[in-house]
Amino acid sequence: MVNGVIACAAAFAIAASTVFPALSQGKVGAAAMESIARQPEAAGKIQTAMILAMALLEALTIYGLLIAFMIIGKF
Amino acid sequence: MSHGGALFEVAGFGVTSAMTTSLAISLIIGGVVIAGSRNLTEGKPGKMQNAIEMVFGSLRDFYASILGKERANAFAPILGTLFLYIIVSNYSGLLPFAGTAPGFQPPTGMLGVTIGLALVTFFTTQIGGFKYNGLHYLGHFVKPVAPLLPLLLLEEIIHPLSLSLRLYGNIYGEETVLHQVSGLIPLGAPIIIMGLSLLFGFIQALVFTMLSAIYIEAATGSGH
Repeated sequence: MVNGVIACAAAFAIAASTVFPALSQGKVGAAAMESIARQPEAAGKIQTAMILAMALLEALTIYGLLIAFMIIGKF
Repeated sequence: MSHGGALFEVAGFGVTSAMTTSLAISLIIGGVVIAGSRNLTEGKPGKMQNAIEMVFGSLRDFYASILGKERANAFAPILGTLFLYIIVSNYSGLLPFAGTAPGFQPPTGMLGVTIGLALVTFFTTQIGGFKYNGLHYLGHFVKPVAPLLPLLLLEEIIHPLSLSLRLYGNIYGEETVLHQVSGLIPLGAPIIIMGLSLLFGFIQALVFTMLSAIYIEAATGSGH
Protein backbone atom coordinates (compact mmCIF):
# COMPACT_ATOMS: atom_id res chain seq x y z
CA MET A 1 0.00 0.00 0.00
CA VAL A 2 2.67 2.47 1.06
CA ASN A 3 4.84 1.41 -1.88
CA GLY A 4 1.97 2.18 -4.24
CA VAL A 5 1.59 5.66 -2.77
CA ILE A 6 5.33 6.26 -3.12
CA ALA A 7 5.24 5.16 -6.76
CA CYS A 8 2.29 7.47 -7.47
CA ALA A 9 4.09 10.36 -5.76
CA ALA A 10 7.19 9.85 -7.94
CA ALA A 11 5.06 9.60 -11.08
CA PHE A 12 3.16 12.76 -10.17
CA ALA A 13 6.37 14.67 -9.42
CA ILE A 14 7.88 13.98 -12.82
CA ALA A 15 4.56 14.36 -14.66
CA ALA A 16 3.77 17.76 -13.19
CA SER A 17 7.31 19.02 -13.66
CA THR A 18 7.29 17.88 -17.30
CA VAL A 19 3.92 19.24 -18.42
CA PHE A 20 4.35 22.88 -17.50
CA PRO A 21 7.95 23.46 -18.64
CA ALA A 22 6.99 21.62 -21.85
CA LEU A 23 4.18 24.11 -22.48
CA SER A 24 6.56 26.99 -21.80
CA GLN A 25 9.23 25.50 -24.05
CA GLY A 26 6.62 25.28 -26.79
CA LYS A 27 5.93 28.98 -26.34
CA VAL A 28 9.64 29.82 -26.44
CA GLY A 29 10.13 27.74 -29.59
CA ALA A 30 7.10 29.27 -31.30
CA ALA A 31 8.23 32.80 -30.49
CA ALA A 32 11.75 32.07 -31.73
CA MET A 33 10.42 30.62 -35.00
CA GLU A 34 8.26 33.69 -35.49
CA SER A 35 11.18 36.03 -34.87
CA ILE A 36 13.43 34.09 -37.23
CA ALA A 37 10.74 34.16 -39.93
CA ARG A 38 10.37 37.89 -39.48
CA GLN A 39 14.10 38.61 -39.33
CA PRO A 40 16.10 35.73 -40.81
CA GLU A 41 19.41 37.62 -40.60
CA ALA A 42 19.21 37.58 -36.77
CA ALA A 43 18.75 33.78 -36.65
CA GLY A 44 22.06 33.13 -34.86
CA LYS A 45 21.39 35.53 -32.00
CA ILE A 46 17.80 34.37 -31.60
CA GLN A 47 18.94 30.75 -31.53
CA THR A 48 21.41 31.45 -28.72
CA ALA A 49 18.77 33.22 -26.66
CA MET A 50 16.28 30.45 -27.36
CA ILE A 51 18.67 27.70 -26.22
CA LEU A 52 19.38 29.68 -23.06
CA ALA A 53 15.67 30.10 -22.25
CA MET A 54 15.02 26.43 -22.99
CA ALA A 55 17.88 25.36 -20.73
CA LEU A 56 16.53 27.43 -17.86
CA LEU A 57 13.10 25.84 -18.34
CA GLU A 58 14.58 22.39 -18.66
CA ALA A 59 16.28 22.82 -15.30
CA LEU A 60 12.81 22.80 -13.70
CA THR A 61 12.05 19.42 -15.26
CA ILE A 62 15.40 18.12 -14.09
CA TYR A 63 14.63 19.20 -10.52
CA GLY A 64 11.39 17.22 -10.77
CA LEU A 65 13.28 14.22 -12.14
CA LEU A 66 15.76 14.36 -9.24
CA ILE A 67 12.90 14.56 -6.74
CA ALA A 68 11.26 11.55 -8.44
CA PHE A 69 14.51 9.57 -8.18
CA MET A 70 14.82 10.56 -4.54
CA ILE A 71 11.24 9.43 -3.84
CA ILE A 72 11.87 6.13 -5.65
CA GLY A 73 14.96 5.73 -3.47
CA LYS A 74 12.63 5.56 -0.45
CA PHE A 75 11.45 2.10 -1.49
CA MET B 1 25.03 1.10 -12.65
CA SER B 2 27.70 1.41 -10.02
CA HIS B 3 27.08 4.79 -8.46
CA GLY B 4 29.40 5.53 -5.60
CA GLY B 5 31.32 2.61 -4.20
CA ALA B 6 35.10 2.81 -4.06
CA LEU B 7 37.21 0.70 -6.43
CA PHE B 8 40.35 0.78 -4.31
CA GLU B 9 41.90 3.01 -1.71
CA VAL B 10 44.83 5.38 -1.95
CA ALA B 11 46.10 6.65 1.41
CA GLY B 12 42.69 6.20 3.03
CA PHE B 13 40.71 7.88 0.24
CA GLY B 14 38.34 5.71 -1.76
CA VAL B 15 38.88 6.01 -5.52
CA THR B 16 35.59 5.72 -7.43
CA SER B 17 34.92 4.83 -11.06
CA ALA B 18 34.05 8.45 -11.84
CA MET B 19 37.46 9.57 -10.55
CA THR B 20 39.40 7.16 -12.76
CA THR B 21 37.31 8.12 -15.80
CA SER B 22 37.76 11.79 -14.98
CA LEU B 23 41.52 11.33 -14.82
CA ALA B 24 41.51 9.46 -18.13
CA ILE B 25 39.47 12.24 -19.78
CA SER B 26 41.83 14.91 -18.47
CA LEU B 27 44.83 12.96 -19.77
CA ILE B 28 43.19 12.43 -23.18
CA ILE B 29 42.25 16.11 -23.61
CA GLY B 30 45.63 17.26 -22.33
CA GLY B 31 47.48 14.77 -24.53
CA VAL B 32 45.59 15.70 -27.69
CA VAL B 33 46.00 19.43 -27.11
CA ILE B 34 49.68 19.20 -26.23
CA ALA B 35 50.38 16.90 -29.18
CA GLY B 36 48.47 19.26 -31.45
CA SER B 37 50.25 22.39 -30.28
CA ARG B 38 53.71 20.96 -31.02
CA ASN B 39 55.51 22.28 -34.09
CA LEU B 40 53.11 25.16 -34.71
CA THR B 41 53.65 26.73 -38.11
CA GLU B 42 52.24 29.91 -39.56
CA GLY B 43 52.23 29.35 -43.26
CA LYS B 44 50.73 25.95 -43.91
CA PRO B 45 49.36 24.32 -40.74
CA GLY B 46 49.01 20.56 -40.55
CA LYS B 47 45.73 18.70 -40.08
CA MET B 48 46.04 18.53 -36.30
CA GLN B 49 46.86 22.22 -35.94
CA ASN B 50 43.99 23.13 -38.24
CA ALA B 51 41.48 21.08 -36.25
CA ILE B 52 42.61 22.48 -32.91
CA GLU B 53 42.66 26.05 -34.22
CA MET B 54 39.13 25.60 -35.52
CA VAL B 55 37.84 24.35 -32.15
CA PHE B 56 39.59 27.08 -30.19
CA GLY B 57 38.66 29.79 -32.65
CA SER B 58 34.98 28.93 -32.64
CA LEU B 59 34.90 28.63 -28.84
CA ARG B 60 36.60 32.02 -28.42
CA ASP B 61 34.26 33.66 -30.92
CA PHE B 62 31.28 32.17 -29.13
CA TYR B 63 32.34 33.54 -25.74
CA ALA B 64 33.32 36.84 -27.36
CA SER B 65 29.70 37.20 -28.47
CA ILE B 66 28.72 37.24 -24.79
CA LEU B 67 31.73 38.75 -23.01
CA GLY B 68 33.07 41.07 -25.68
CA LYS B 69 36.42 40.60 -27.35
CA GLU B 70 38.68 41.92 -24.60
CA ARG B 71 37.24 39.89 -21.71
CA ALA B 72 36.85 36.83 -23.95
CA ASN B 73 40.64 36.73 -24.26
CA ALA B 74 40.86 36.57 -20.46
CA PHE B 75 38.06 34.11 -19.77
CA ALA B 76 37.78 31.98 -22.92
CA PRO B 77 40.61 29.61 -21.82
CA ILE B 78 38.88 28.56 -18.60
CA LEU B 79 35.41 28.43 -20.19
CA GLY B 80 36.73 26.49 -23.18
CA THR B 81 38.47 24.01 -20.91
CA LEU B 82 35.24 23.50 -18.97
CA PHE B 83 33.40 23.02 -22.27
CA LEU B 84 35.86 20.41 -23.56
CA TYR B 85 35.91 18.51 -20.28
CA ILE B 86 32.12 18.47 -19.98
CA ILE B 87 31.46 17.45 -23.58
CA VAL B 88 34.03 14.62 -23.57
CA SER B 89 32.71 13.45 -20.22
CA ASN B 90 29.09 13.54 -21.47
CA TYR B 91 29.99 11.59 -24.59
CA SER B 92 31.98 9.03 -22.59
CA GLY B 93 28.61 7.82 -21.27
CA LEU B 94 27.72 6.66 -24.80
CA LEU B 95 30.64 4.26 -25.12
CA PRO B 96 29.95 0.56 -24.55
CA PHE B 97 30.12 -0.64 -20.92
CA ALA B 98 29.97 2.90 -19.54
CA GLY B 99 28.52 2.70 -16.06
CA THR B 100 28.71 -1.10 -15.89
CA ALA B 101 32.43 -1.84 -16.25
CA PRO B 102 34.44 -1.10 -13.10
CA GLY B 103 36.49 2.08 -13.37
CA PHE B 104 34.46 3.52 -16.22
CA GLN B 105 31.59 5.90 -15.52
CA PRO B 106 30.84 9.36 -16.97
CA PRO B 107 32.04 11.83 -14.29
CA THR B 108 29.38 14.45 -15.07
CA GLY B 109 26.76 11.92 -13.94
CA MET B 110 28.05 12.37 -10.37
CA LEU B 111 26.82 15.29 -8.27
CA GLY B 112 30.22 15.80 -6.67
CA VAL B 113 31.94 16.39 -10.01
CA THR B 114 29.35 18.87 -11.27
CA ILE B 115 29.44 20.78 -7.98
CA GLY B 116 33.21 21.01 -8.39
CA LEU B 117 32.82 22.36 -11.92
CA ALA B 118 30.22 24.88 -10.75
CA LEU B 119 32.56 26.01 -7.94
CA VAL B 120 35.19 26.80 -10.58
CA THR B 121 32.63 29.08 -12.23
CA PHE B 122 31.66 30.57 -8.86
CA PHE B 123 35.21 31.53 -7.91
CA THR B 124 36.03 32.74 -11.41
CA THR B 125 32.98 35.00 -11.26
CA GLN B 126 33.75 36.45 -7.83
CA ILE B 127 37.49 36.90 -8.37
CA GLY B 128 36.85 38.33 -11.84
CA GLY B 129 34.37 40.78 -10.35
CA PHE B 130 36.91 42.06 -7.82
CA LYS B 131 39.69 42.14 -10.41
CA TYR B 132 37.75 44.18 -12.96
CA ASN B 133 35.71 46.45 -10.69
CA GLY B 134 37.75 46.52 -7.48
CA LEU B 135 35.72 47.25 -4.39
CA HIS B 136 32.97 48.74 -6.56
CA TYR B 137 32.05 45.12 -7.21
CA LEU B 138 30.53 44.99 -3.72
CA GLY B 139 28.25 47.83 -4.80
CA HIS B 140 26.34 45.60 -7.13
CA PHE B 141 25.02 43.65 -4.14
CA VAL B 142 23.07 46.71 -2.96
CA LYS B 143 21.75 47.82 -6.32
CA PRO B 144 19.11 48.99 -7.09
CA VAL B 145 18.16 49.22 -3.38
CA ALA B 146 19.97 48.09 -0.22
CA PRO B 147 17.19 45.83 1.20
CA LEU B 148 17.76 43.45 -1.73
CA LEU B 149 21.16 42.46 -0.25
CA PRO B 150 20.11 39.05 1.16
CA LEU B 151 18.33 38.12 -2.05
CA LEU B 152 21.29 39.12 -4.23
CA LEU B 153 23.70 37.21 -1.98
CA LEU B 154 21.40 34.18 -2.18
CA GLU B 155 21.37 34.51 -5.96
CA GLU B 156 25.17 34.16 -6.09
CA ILE B 157 24.90 30.84 -4.24
CA ILE B 158 21.92 29.59 -6.25
CA HIS B 159 23.72 30.17 -9.57
CA PRO B 160 26.37 27.44 -9.08
CA LEU B 161 23.81 25.19 -7.39
CA SER B 162 21.45 25.30 -10.36
CA LEU B 163 24.40 24.92 -12.77
CA SER B 164 25.56 21.74 -11.06
CA LEU B 165 22.07 20.28 -10.59
CA ARG B 166 21.16 20.90 -14.24
CA LEU B 167 24.24 19.12 -15.57
CA TYR B 168 24.08 16.28 -13.05
CA GLY B 169 20.34 15.74 -13.51
CA ASN B 170 20.59 15.68 -17.28
CA ILE B 171 23.46 13.23 -17.50
CA TYR B 172 22.30 11.03 -14.63
CA GLY B 173 18.76 10.98 -16.01
CA GLU B 174 20.02 10.16 -19.48
CA GLU B 175 22.18 7.37 -18.11
CA THR B 176 19.23 5.92 -16.19
CA VAL B 177 16.89 6.13 -19.18
CA LEU B 178 19.48 4.49 -21.42
CA HIS B 179 19.98 1.73 -18.86
CA GLN B 180 16.24 1.10 -18.51
CA VAL B 181 15.55 1.15 -22.25
CA SER B 182 18.39 -1.23 -23.06
CA GLY B 183 17.06 -3.54 -20.36
CA LEU B 184 13.57 -3.36 -21.87
CA ILE B 185 14.33 -3.54 -25.62
CA PRO B 186 18.02 -4.39 -26.09
CA LEU B 187 17.97 -4.19 -29.92
CA GLY B 188 17.52 -0.93 -31.80
CA ALA B 189 15.72 1.19 -29.21
CA PRO B 190 18.84 2.40 -27.32
CA ILE B 191 20.14 3.93 -30.56
CA ILE B 192 17.32 6.51 -30.51
CA ILE B 193 18.16 7.49 -26.95
CA MET B 194 21.87 7.64 -27.85
CA GLY B 195 21.09 9.94 -30.77
CA LEU B 196 19.25 12.26 -28.41
CA SER B 197 22.11 11.98 -25.94
CA LEU B 198 24.55 13.20 -28.60
CA LEU B 199 22.46 16.34 -28.98
CA PHE B 200 21.83 16.87 -25.27
CA GLY B 201 25.45 16.23 -24.30
CA PHE B 202 26.53 19.06 -26.58
CA ILE B 203 23.71 21.40 -25.50
CA GLN B 204 24.42 20.81 -21.80
CA ALA B 205 28.12 21.58 -22.25
CA LEU B 206 27.18 24.69 -24.24
CA VAL B 207 24.58 25.84 -21.72
CA PHE B 208 26.88 25.30 -18.73
CA THR B 209 29.62 27.47 -20.19
CA MET B 210 27.18 29.95 -21.71
CA LEU B 211 25.55 30.58 -18.34
CA SER B 212 29.00 30.79 -16.74
CA ALA B 213 29.97 33.39 -19.33
CA ILE B 214 26.79 35.36 -18.62
CA TYR B 215 27.45 35.33 -14.85
CA ILE B 216 31.05 36.43 -15.46
CA GLU B 217 29.83 39.14 -17.83
CA ALA B 218 27.42 40.43 -15.17
CA ALA B 219 30.15 40.47 -12.50
CA THR B 220 32.97 42.00 -14.55
CA GLY B 221 30.92 44.48 -16.57
CA SER B 222 30.91 48.09 -15.43
CA GLY B 223 27.42 48.88 -16.67
CA HIS B 224 25.49 48.23 -13.45
